[in-house]
Amino acid sequence: MSEMIAPEKVAANADAIQEVARMDQLAGPAQRAESPLHHADLDTIAKKGPKNGGVTLQEHKLLGHLVIRGSQDNQAFLAGAREALGFDLPTEPLSSVEQGDRSVRWIAPDEWLLIVPGEDAFQVEEQLRAAMGGHFAIVNVSGGQTVLELSGPDVRMVLKKSTPYDVHDRNFPVGKVVTSVFAKTQAVIRRTGEDRWELVIRRSFADYVWLWLQDASAEFGLVVKA
Amino acid sequence: MSQKNRLASGGRIDRSKSLRFKYNGREYQGYQGDTLASALLANGVDIIARSFKYSRPRGIVAAGAEEPNAVLQLGATEATQVPNVRATQQELFNGLVSSATNGWPNAEMDLMSYVGKVGGRMMPPGFYYKTFMYPQSMWETYEKFIRKAAGLGRSPLENDPDIYDKLNHHCDVMIVGAGPAGLAAALVAARSGARVILADEQSEFGGSLLHSGEKINGRPAVEWVAETVAELEKHPEVLLLPRSTVNGYHDHNFLTIHQRCTDHIADQAPKGQVRQRMHRVRANWVVLATGAHERPLVYGNNDVPGCMVASAVSTYINRYGVVPGNELVLMTTNDYAYQTALDWADAGRKVVAIVDTRQSPKGARIEEARKRGLNIITGSAVIDVQGSKRVSGVQVAPIDAKGDKVTGSVERLSCDTVASSGGWSPVIHLSCHTGSRPEWRDDIIGFVPGKTVQRQLTAGGINGTYSLRKVLEEGATAGAKAAESAGFADAAKGIALPLSEEVKEGPAMALFHIPHTKPTARAPKQFVDLQNDVTAAGIELATREGFESIEHVKRYTAMGFGTDQGKLGNINGMAIAAKSLNQSIPETGTTIFRPNYTPITFGAIAGRDCGELFDIKRYTAMHKWHVEHGALFEDVGQWKRPWYFPKAGESMQQALDRECKATRDSVGILDASTLGKIDIQGKDAREFLSRVYTNAWAKLGVGKCRYGLMCGEDGMVFDDGVTSCLAENHFLMTTTSGGAARVLEWLELYHQTEWPEMEVYFNTVTDQWATMTISGPNSRKLLAELTDIDLDNDSFKFMDWRQGKVAGVPARIFRISFTGELSYEINVQANYGLFVWEKLFEHGAKYNLTPYGTETMHVLRAEKGFIIAGQDTDGSVTPIDLGMSWCVSNNKPFSYIGKRGMAREDCIRTDRKQLVGLKTKDPKKVIPEGSQAVNDPKQAIPMTMLGHVTSSYYSANLGHSIALGMIRNGHNRMGETVYYPQADGTVIEAEICSPIFLDPKGERQNV
Repeated sequence: MSEMIAPEKVAANADAIQEVARMDQLAGPAQRAESPLHHADLDTIAKKGPKNGGVTLQEHKLLGHLVIRGSQDNQAFLAGAREALGFDLPTEPLSSVEQGDRSVRWIAPDEWLLIVPGEDAFQVEEQLRAAMGGHFAIVNVSGGQTVLELSGPDVRMVLKKSTPYDVHDRNFPVGKVVTSVFAKTQAVIRRTGEDRWELVIRRSFADYVWLWLQDASAEFGLVVKA
Repeated sequence: MSQKNRLASGGRIDRSKSLRFKYNGREYQGYQGDTLASALLANGVDIIARSFKYSRPRGIVAAGAEEPNAVLQLGATEATQVPNVRATQQELFNGLVSSATNGWPNAEMDLMSYVGKVGGRMMPPGFYYKTFMYPQSMWETYEKFIRKAAGLGRSPLENDPDIYDKLNHHCDVMIVGAGPAGLAAALVAARSGARVILADEQSEFGGSLLHSGEKINGRPAVEWVAETVAELEKHPEVLLLPRSTVNGYHDHNFLTIHQRCTDHIADQAPKGQVRQRMHRVRANWVVLATGAHERPLVYGNNDVPGCMVASAVSTYINRYGVVPGNELVLMTTNDYAYQTALDWADAGRKVVAIVDTRQSPKGARIEEARKRGLNIITGSAVIDVQGSKRVSGVQVAPIDAKGDKVTGSVERLSCDTVASSGGWSPVIHLSCHTGSRPEWRDDIIGFVPGKTVQRQLTAGGINGTYSLRKVLEEGATAGAKAAESAGFADAAKGIALPLSEEVKEGPAMALFHIPHTKPTARAPKQFVDLQNDVTAAGIELATREGFESIEHVKRYTAMGFGTDQGKLGNINGMAIAAKSLNQSIPETGTTIFRPNYTPITFGAIAGRDCGELFDIKRYTAMHKWHVEHGALFEDVGQWKRPWYFPKAGESMQQALDRECKATRDSVGILDASTLGKIDIQGKDAREFLSRVYTNAWAKLGVGKCRYGLMCGEDGMVFDDGVTSCLAENHFLMTTTSGGAARVLEWLELYHQTEWPEMEVYFNTVTDQWATMTISGPNSRKLLAELTDIDLDNDSFKFMDWRQGKVAGVPARIFRISFTGELSYEINVQANYGLFVWEKLFEHGAKYNLTPYGTETMHVLRAEKGFIIAGQDTDGSVTPIDLGMSWCVSNNKPFSYIGKRGMAREDCIRTDRKQLVGLKTKDPKKVIPEGSQAVNDPKQAIPMTMLGHVTSSYYSANLGHSIALGMIRNGHNRMGETVYYPQADGTVIEAEICSPIFLDPKGERQNV
């Protein structure tokens, strides 16, 4: 697709790359990485805890989280994203796109959250920077948040306890994504399947959300999956 | 005790399920399906309270939420105590324990009643206000007496063992009330496919149909109720909420519903079950089908136990199989109440008389009563009641057609029960919550909801519509209209309206206050508001004393103040005020009802936001290490930050002394991850910084860091921090730990509203980076063992940052210092935070690497005179006041926030309060923070205060105490002495000095 980018733009992009600090934040396997819920030892709970219940929780940890900022009026930005990702950034409010191991959530008219495998984060960021033009920003926030997947027949009740947003089928189809109040904090809430939902939460609030979810799902039975 | 008032058959109770319960320590029996009130009446319990002001015995008067007297204390154990429970709404369960909430020593044998006989004199209307004012000092004495006598229930002394929670809902149509109107509305709306919520405060749906004996489609109405509920239960988009009181109707169709999930089962919820739930509903359309409350009449001694509201008597007979007496006198202004006499007669008890205030009433029910040979006395009223603990008789007298005066001789009738009906008051409370002013309608003699600003419809009794046929019609119409308006077209199509026969009724009489042979002021007490002991005479007195607005009358007399919110009394009270003021009821107006409709438990309000979940605790990536190493924690915003790390046997001061010295002597480490961090990208980033900070940013090179001060428009400091130039168009801003969100919002506010043309994006990265600061002369040596970055002082200078690896982890290191020591702030992606922290300790042991917390950080920075925004500043301090004019640049091409504020006349005064250092004369003495400075400690109180101490510590490094504080004109008073008088009478003497106590040239951080 690179032939679509005019030579003068590539030059401009090369300058742009100099104008922001780039950093591969990932260390090697010898350096121990801990997700925000590491201390909760979900693996042990998964092994020893209940196997049946109305709510199943799984942390998808240590993924690559990239915040992408840019204007929808900036064609060089949108086209660059398409080129680097292989699909369009979703411009329909509250929508998301998932392809393979990459998923993008619409967060605001000028903001998206891209989640990729943890080891791909820097490479994807570099590809985006190379392909995009004009005013934009990309921020790696992989250490600052984590993904929780909730599944099971009673998840909707847990969500109704937790967020004032309407999670009914008619208002929250599969693929929709909303950033809203979650208990006393906030979460990016996405419906990923009929009975499957995804929460993106901040690291420092993760323990609170974990406590909240245990409490809210207690009456339905909480299963933790490794 | 036998259930002497229980009928052998009839009602919706299950006589095969006997339940035991306790009231005031005595054991009674009732049946499944009873309320506490119906069970008490079945057992012949007459007195359930003593009145608030006069301590008169009171009995149950109503059968629902409007009950003013039977407000009881519930709970079998200390932990399960619940105050303010209306016995009329509490379902009976086996083992229920209840007691009267007022009455001293108890409701039956009340010492206060002797006081009560004269108490009226002691507590006239406006009593509270008069005692507040004359003399004020007496209030505390009165209060104890009043509170003890009033006994408004009590809260438990132990923790509530039950679970309460909240649920959020959204729906197309929210229907409040499941009587005939609500059910009809729900049925129509549900069939359209709309999302419907139907809530009712009672255990069973059906409302008045549960006791009225009316017919729908030619069959008993309760059969229609059962069929309707069965159909609603099958609709997947319908949520039925019984035992759920809609307590608040807020803006934008937001409603709060209090559901009692297990209160009808046991004293404590079964294990794992939620006891009460608060439903928070956002509705597209709302249908209020709340019905009406019957109005009692106001007559002499109308509070004697045995005086009841007519429809309540019917309810007890027909729904609970309880006749609350033997001989009934019914007083009515309308046809409908005749039903109560008919029901009473059907129950096999004696109807002494029906006293109708109208001269010649005509209607179907009246004909029926005549046919049965009941004694009807027209054009008359019950003007007085005899009896003290129970009605023993009434005085009946003829009255004129307007109901203004007694026109003939008084006749005594023997009876034990007086039922009265003054007509119906629509239950407009929820409509009022939304700000709608009620409107008076002469034809129904009541207030109906006024113009609404909500997407709201009303149906049935709330509209003053009382014929069942019309109520059903209105319900179905409202349900259809609500569903259609919410987008479910043709909801009304094909709906067969349930049919019911019309009963012919004659006109009712607009009568509220029954006249007496004596003027009101000297007549026997005629109660308007039973819960607050407000009498007709009291209201007349209030109007005579000049309270003409109904709102003032309400507050002066306390009418409608209680937990029942004047559900029975308010309309009568307004009518009496109107008459006394010689004006109409619409002219007088009504008071407005506010949320909540009935009291809600604190448990339901709190939900799960209690205990561990009461507030968020934010943790850094290294938190587990801190806990394992004995840290004590301090709350900074929602963060849990290590405060200090005491070793076994150490006092706090000893721990701080050790941490401070170790840092200055070798190397200390601080978890600084909580500092707010904002990533700033875009070609206008630098210019944006220049506009929000007071100092200059144009020349800050890549790889460099700079301290900045942020002011509000008023020129007052509100945050500070170091911002680093990561690349030409890329900066990393740090903020105070507590100010992170506020600063980001501040930047967005200015970007979005003032300078949207600037190309810049702000993103929070606070949680992204784990930040650890190593500080002290050995910090370079320690870091050198772990990094590939050249740490040489010539290549990596103070206020530089470098990128590289620490312990194999990609890191950015900022050579900045909040201690004044050689210092490196290491930032790694938070997932590696604990790993790198532990590596530092592996290598740090030989340097005595010492972890320290916020308290040592405070001491070390105070030794250097570094401020903490929010501690040394309080929103009234400019950079100049802080002695930080070096951090203000007025040479910027564009203005900056705070520039004009700082130039205000008051801000350029030279004698403002200014930040200085303070050295106590006694080096061991630490001035308490907040202490006020004076020039002369011997002056008279109130002394002239010069400013307060903002930070104060003992410095182990310096061997004396140090403090920072504001002093008026302090910058010009170096070396002078000020005094800090203490609460204990001692005075601490201190010398004004430079706030920089240690290393004034800053050599230690530059090595």
